[in-house]
Amino acid sequence: MSMVTATRQEMMYCPGCSHAAVLEQLGAALDRLGLPPEQVCLVSDIGCIGTADRYFACHTFHGLHGRSITYAEAIKRCRPDLLVVVLIGDGGCGIGTAHLVHTARRGVGIKVFVCNNFNFGMTGGQHSPTTPAGGVTATTPTGAGDRPLDVCQLVIASGGAFVARCSALDRNLPEMIDATLRAPGFALLDIWELCVAYYMPTNKLNPPKLVEMSRELGMPFGILKNEPGRTDGQPAARPAADVPAGGSRIGPSGGEHSRAPARAGVIPGLRWPPRVEIALAGSAGERIRSAAGVIGEILVAAGLQVAQLDDYPITVRKGFSLSNLIVAQQPIRYTGLRTPELVIIQSEDGLRRFGSLAELSPETLLIVNDELTWESTPARVLPVTLAPLIRQVERANVALALLTCGLIQCGWITAEALRNLAGATLKGRFREANLRAIEAGMRLVSVPAARA
Amino acid sequence: MAEFITGNQAVVRGALRAGCNYIAGYPITPASSILNDMIRAFADGRGIAVQVEDEIAAMGQCVAAAMCGARPMTATSGPGLSLLSENIGFAQMVEAPVVIVDCQRMGPATGGATTTGEGDVLFARHVTAGGYPLPVLAATDALSAYRLTYNAFQIAEELRTPVIVLLSKDISSTRQTVDLENVPLLPARQRRPAPPDRPFRPYEVAQLAEVPAFAPIGGPQRVRVTGSIHDACGLLTTDRREIERKLAHLNAKIAAAAERLEDVDADIDPQAHILVVSYGLPDGAVRDAVDELRATGARVSRLTIYSLWPVPQRAIRAAAEGVRHVLVPELNIGLYADVVRQVLPGVHIESLARYDGGLIAPRTIRERVCSLLDGCNAPGGHSA
Repeated sequence: MSMVTATRQEMMYCPGCSHAAVLEQLGAALDRLGLPPEQVCLVSDIGCIGTADRYFACHTFHGLHGRSITYAEAIKRCRPDLLVVVLIGDGGCGIGTAHLVHTARRGVGIKVFVCNNFNFGMTGGQHSPTTPAGGVTATTPTGAGDRPLDVCQLVIASGGAFVARCSALDRNLPEMIDATLRAPGFALLDIWELCVAYYMPTNKLNPPKLVEMSRELGMPFGILKNEPGRTDGQPAARPAADVPAGGSRIGPSGGEHSRAPARAGVIPGLRWPPRVEIALAGSAGERIRSAAGVIGEILVAAGLQVAQLDDYPITVRKGFSLSNLIVAQQPIRYTGLRTPELVIIQSEDGLRRFGSLAELSPETLLIVNDELTWESTPARVLPVTLAPLIRQVERANVALALLTCGLIQCGWITAEALRNLAGATLKGRFREANLRAIEAGMRLVSVPAARA
Repeated sequence: MAEFITGNQAVVRGALRAGCNYIAGYPITPASSILNDMIRAFADGRGIAVQVEDEIAAMGQCVAAAMCGARPMTATSGPGLSLLSENIGFAQMVEAPVVIVDCQRMGPATGGATTTGEGDVLFARHVTAGGYPLPVLAATDALSAYRLTYNAFQIAEELRTPVIVLLSKDISSTRQTVDLENVPLLPARQRRPAPPDRPFRPYEVAQLAEVPAFAPIGGPQRVRVTGSIHDACGLLTTDRREIERKLAHLNAKIAAAAERLEDVDADIDPQAHILVVSYGLPDGAVRDAVDELRATGARVSRLTIYSLWPVPQRAIRAAAEGVRHVLVPELNIGLYADVVRQVLPGVHIESLARYDGGLIAPRTIRERVCSLLDGCNAPGGHSA
């Protein structure tokens, strides 16, 4: 059976339109390859050429304007064994330029045929990205003023493996189609055509003039690049096997050290109240969120419920960084702060973002960098000089030390219990640094908290 | 086993559990970590992960992968959902199962990249041209993000439709204690395979609400996929009966499943005069507020809606039985309150809207409930 199921006359194209001739030759070339139809998928774009899918006996896929390349890429990635052929017009190469560039750049082995007739035939002869300067169209009545897009140069620059141009009226069209279909990697053939309804009559274009136009525009016919690219697609994904509850395979668990089992029973030294709210406020780079996360992991491992809600601007190395850490005996539903029992202010950024210290409760312990100037507050204040701490644990670990100090100072956990839990829970490349910071935090405890 | 994970990590876990094996995505805050983690998860060859040039390509790849038999997902935020739009319509037309995760942030436009907001709840339903329905689920926390992502894959497979799962920044990046072992999930679903012994008619259905049988691109049965209006063979048609049948089918298959898709958690006091309807991030505060109100003797009901679309009308009407007021706290200008208003004509629907990036606190909800009830003994406490 032939891959094309209609004759040139049976196709819906205007008499003399190059599309029918190109489709006939594409069908013949596919027949010469001898692939079973199930091994071929034809992806057609929008425009007159987009209607071609119905004439093909293989798998066909007809989507949205300019997006044919995106569909073809996914089909090729899912089924690298298929020959995936794209039929796209010059309009499609305009609206889908990004896809053309990036799929070529990614080296996906699809075969793209650009049926380039220099205008939008289906919508009434408007100019397209390839309309030559001076070309008269419905939207350039006095002649196009823009430089035409050289699809071939674009794809060469983007890393396409095989790039060629020919005219639909050339005698070598079959060979050019064959070469495109057989080229490994991303291949594109820019086929110059005649639109008998619009562009040809308006611009008195004819076969010899196509050749002349190629010369004038410096867009030559022939094979312009033929460097076998990457192979035709990556290996197909294995079907996803059923995976155990939680579904984790690699990576996307809660980080390197978040999967510690919850401990049943009482942990000596852990005297956690029903609900505790902690606010850490500092600057980007001070590992505020990491400190909250480390303590969160330790307390989850101790069987507590934890929620960590962060607040930070889009830059990760500049500006404020806040973490709300809520630790409770029962599941936490509202993850915002009501009345924090412990507030740690490490920097000016954090102080400004946190808001009013005057609204804190007298029961709140406020640990604050003593270089800052803070307003009067009813909270118990523990000013801390950071310089000696930075000498012990480096600036990046100060937040964890201050948080450790706060947890013990508030009496929720003993140093011994925290040391044991941290030792059993923390893993990964920051384990030692984190354990050192926790020890440093323990040494800060015992300074009595004064009222400001 | 207790774990300490973000909402986005929960999405990844739910997707992997559901057999997701294709992700195409474009980085955007606060959704990016889903793409990062899926790329790491698929490093073992069990899936394909592509960082593409834009969200248009992401959704295009997902639709095509689905028609090859894959279980695809993409994850984005509001600005990216805008770009997914055209190919979501394409997915509806070709009946491609695709899971779309929208980690909402404050909008419109760039809005606040790291600021929470839940303003996409109507946009998700009406995201594409034509007006045909698609299921939309809304997570309230990390655990429900896991459950709903898993369920979204089953719904997508069963109904061959795009399904949108909504999170928001303070669910996506907030870490919470979860135990994923014993979460009740929908039964695993797969597309109905086309019978191998007959010629394949890709869009043939015996009745309007039936979902067509599936054969993948590249299989022994030749497949026709087209975004143009088509007949049972997948060929463009101009026959009005065929056109109406196809489009009525797109509506009917979702409408017929509406009651099955209802996913709510109702906590009803039959004597209540007020019902709080919640979804998304405010739900945690609503649960706290309702418990606190009840502790003072107030009679309050709560309905948490996880399946925003189709609107769970039956559940809303049942929960509102006998109440005078319905309070709808939302992190937008009051979008879903209007939807509830349409379901409950004659009942006073009060919107509690916040859209400055902050959370709605339990105290705010308690105070509004009390003022609607013309005073109640609001529980003590200094703040929130």
